[in-house]
Formats: sequence, C-alpha cells, structure tokens
Amino acid sequence: MKTTTAKSLRVSKKEGVRKPILAFLKSLLTDAVFDAILIPMQVPAGDSYAWVLVKDPSLLDQANPLAPIMPVQGAKALKSLTRKGEGNLKIAAVMRPCEVRASVELAKLNQIHLESITLMSVDCPGVLPVADYFENPGESEKRFNAMLSENRWGNGSMKSVCQICEQFSILPSSDFHFGLMTGSESSVVLISSSPKGQRVLKDRSLDGSVSLSDWENGIESIRQERKKERTKRFREVQSMVEGFDGLLKTFARCIGCHNCQSACPICYCRHCYFGSEASKLDSDFILKKAEQRGGLSFPLDRRMFHVGRMSHMSLSCVACGLCSDACPVSIPVADVFSFVADQTQRTFDYKAGEKREEPLPIRQYRLEEIKGVEEWVKDAEGVES
Amino acid sequence: MEDQKQKEEFFPKIVGYLCNWCTYAAADLAGSSKMELSPSLNVIRVMCSSRVDYNLVLTTFFGGADGILIAGCHPGDCHYDKGNYYARRRYALLKSILETLKLDPERLQLSWISASEGKRYVDVVNEFTERIKKLGPNPINRNAYY
Repeated sequence: MKTTTAKSLRVSKKEGVRKPILAFLKSLLTDAVFDAILIPMQVPAGDSYAWVLVKDPSLLDQANPLAPIMPVQGAKALKSLTRKGEGNLKIAAVMRPCEVRASVELAKLNQIHLESITLMSVDCPGVLPVADYFENPGESEKRFNAMLSENRWGNGSMKSVCQICEQFSILPSSDFHFGLMTGSESSVVLISSSPKGQRVLKDRSLDGSVSLSDWENGIESIRQERKKERTKRFREVQSMVEGFDGLLKTFARCIGCHNCQSACPICYCRHCYFGSEASKLDSDFILKKAEQRGGLSFPLDRRMFHVGRMSHMSLSCVACGLCSDACPVSIPVADVFSFVADQTQRTFDYKAGEKREEPLPIRQYRLEEIKGVEEWVKDAEGVES
Repeated sequence: MEDQKQKEEFFPKIVGYLCNWCTYAAADLAGSSKMELSPSLNVIRVMCSSRVDYNLVLTTFFGGADGILIAGCHPGDCHYDKGNYYARRRYALLKSILETLKLDPERLQLSWISASEGKRYVDVVNEFTERIKKLGPNPINRNAYY
C-alpha cells in the first residue's frame, strides 16, 4: 500500500531552489535520519560533477541535486555502492528520475540492492550534453541556472533525449520526490510515497498545508508538450535509421570503441558477447565472407553490435542519453536506442523503472499471449494428426 | 540482365534452430518417412528453443543467412516445462526490433512442431523456403560493411 504525504519548502526567488533543498538534506544528516547521502558534487576544478557519498553535512555545500550535466549515471554509482549486497548504513540517493528508473531496473537484474537505500527523485529540467558543457563550463553553468530560475523547461539546449522525456517527474518507484514545478516559484513540494519516504518527512517542522494541484498541472502541461514533440522526433529518427541502408548510414561512422556500452547503466555484463572470444572469426572464414561480398570492413560486427545491444538492454533502457554523450564520433546513439526501446517496451506493455513490483518482461510469460507468432503456417495446421 | 539471372538462380540459405526434443525428432521422422523436403534448411540442434539467444539469431542474420527458423515444442509440451514460453517472448522482442528498424522481420520465424508432426515439419520448411525465395537474398550480403 502506498501512502503519500506532502509538505513544502519555502524558497526565496533570489536564492533559487538549490539552497533550500541542500539545507533540508543537511538537516536529514545532522538529525541522523540518514547515515550518508549520495549526491552529485562539483569537482574541485569546478568544471564537472562526480557522485559523492557524503557523511559530513558541511560537504553538502558543494553538492548540486540539479547538476547541469550527467557525466556518470547515478545508477552506476549506486551499483558500485551496493554490488556486494546491502549494507547497514541508511543511505539516501538524490537522483534524476532516469537515474531512479535505471536503479530500479538494475535492482531487478540483481545488480543493486535497494533495501537500505532511499531513492529521492527531483523534477528534472534535463541536462546539457557533456561536450557542450565542457566547451565553457562557467558559461554553461550560468546558462543552466538562469534557465532553471526562469522556469524555462524543455529548453532546446538540453540533450535531445531530455527534450522528449515524459518521465521527468515523480515516479511510482521513487521513495521521495522534490517537486520544483510549482508555478509560484516560492516553494518546493516534498512528496513521500513509500514507508521509507515517510521516515524522511516524519518530525520535520515544515509547512504541511500544501496543495499539489499547481505542481501537478505544471508537470502535466510540460508532459503534453513533450508527448507531441516525442512523436515528431521519433518519426524523424525512424526515417533516418530504418532499413538496411538506414542502419548502415546511421552507424557508418562507428569506430567500434564500445563506449556507448561502457557508459550505459543497464549494460552491466562483465563478459559481453561482443569482444569475447566467441564473437571472433577465423581468418579463412573472414576471407570467404570478403569474397562473397566483394570486400569486408573492419572492425567487424559494428552494426550487429548495436542491434545486439538493443536486443539485450532495450527493455530496460531509460533513455538517459549517456550513450550519445560517450560517443566520440557523435552518432545519435541515444535517439535511436530510445526510439527502439519505446517500441520494444510497448510490445510487452512495460515501462522501464516505473514500477518496482513489475518483473522484467523476458523473465516472465503468460500461457496465452503473443498471438500470431506463426500465423503464416495456419494452413498447415491439422494436416497431420 | 545479370540481375535477372541472379534472381533465377537464387536459392535461399536458411538456418534452423531446432529443439532437440520435438522439432529435431520431427525432422528425423520426416527423413525416415522419406518425405520430400527443400534442402534450403541448415539444421542446428539446440537443447531447447529458449537456448536460442538474441546473439545467436543476429550472428546468423548479419552473417548473411536469408532466413532463420526457430522451432520447438508446442506451448505446454516443453521438455523443460516452460522453455518455449520464454523463447516466445524472446522471439517477440527480436521481431519487434527488426520491425522497428525495418530489417525484413519476415526472415525470422518461430514455429511449434512436435515430434510426431513430420509432415508439418516438411510443410513449414517448404513454405518458409518459398517465402524467402520471394523475398530474395538477404540485403546484408550486398556490401562490404556490416
């Protein structure tokens, strides 16, 4: 049973939303609600962000729950934290919704243990592509914050997958949520939606008389806009990638570095088929292939790698866009993968990371389903008894 | 002119992943009953249709096979109780990807053929071969990049 409680944080227009959120998180550490908080923190040089597990409340001053970039997916950080089972510490992870979703997927794949973790999500305006950010970190930071304070969501400078993201707000799978899109710009709503989340709001002296309707309306209007944009963009991606020629053109630049795979939070296998001995071919065989086709390009299996990866991870793809960020030759990997993932997840009526209790589609089955798998042999039926 | 000639000569190469307990036995039955069967199918025996991993299918597909047949026991008859249900889900996922990318999803086929259905095995293979013949060679073989 889910119980939802909401309270609100007061925000002054000058300070922005970051400070009151950090002050709230600090109080959670000092009052020992949590033993540690996992949160993105600006690196000392000030030109990037890293995930830090914070024990000392004073360190939180450099933290930023709304970092303008996502160099490492939060689920990956959480995975390294809990890979060997749950710990005794009570930990809060402050994440973007796509990171929460990836964490939930990894928990289903037994790569993350969520028992002692409280997942806290934030309304996400999107993040900048890392390449754009690194061109001028200071300037990008300013631009991002200005956009945030002016409530200009859905800004065109965000990552392309962020611009069409529909799951940028509260999720059934998160324990606790910071709602920023209140419209009034003078408050942040705090929503707890699980027993773990309730613990956070218990005994906090906060404004309890909150109406969520403003925030909900704000979210809904953005979602509607995104939905339209999403359909449009997916159509564009489809016309780019479809067919054997489309696939070849889209991934022709691929240098086979597998960076997209290393950056992907879902691709967790330590021994991937691609790059393994099993995928290697002997030279006589390759020569024969070259003869058949008139020639053969190297490295081998570049198109197959992407389709193979789609088949392995698209059901859990959360469209975080890290693969595009990681690509050294600027292939729009995330656009293609999020489009394919949208289709495959639709096939099984599944949404990656939305609900914790929903098992992975390929780990379950129904006795009667997926009709038409062999409709073309219908005529042959009943021939032999 | 040359294209036409090629089309006439086209004889599909189909890879069949047959489950050891049902379809492979059906193939055996078809053989011992001396039924006539298109020689297009290259049989690979697997212990269960759910053994057929995505990469197995994609390696054959991107390797240039014109068609891929996965065949196993009828739902409810799996030697391992539920392997074919999982195979069906995997097949649906692969089909969905190939459909989304428009990579000739018709080249992939899943069929249920039990050990006693020798005739049905022959029909499935012959019909599938005809279908692939109409589709033509796998476009993946057209150029040097893959």
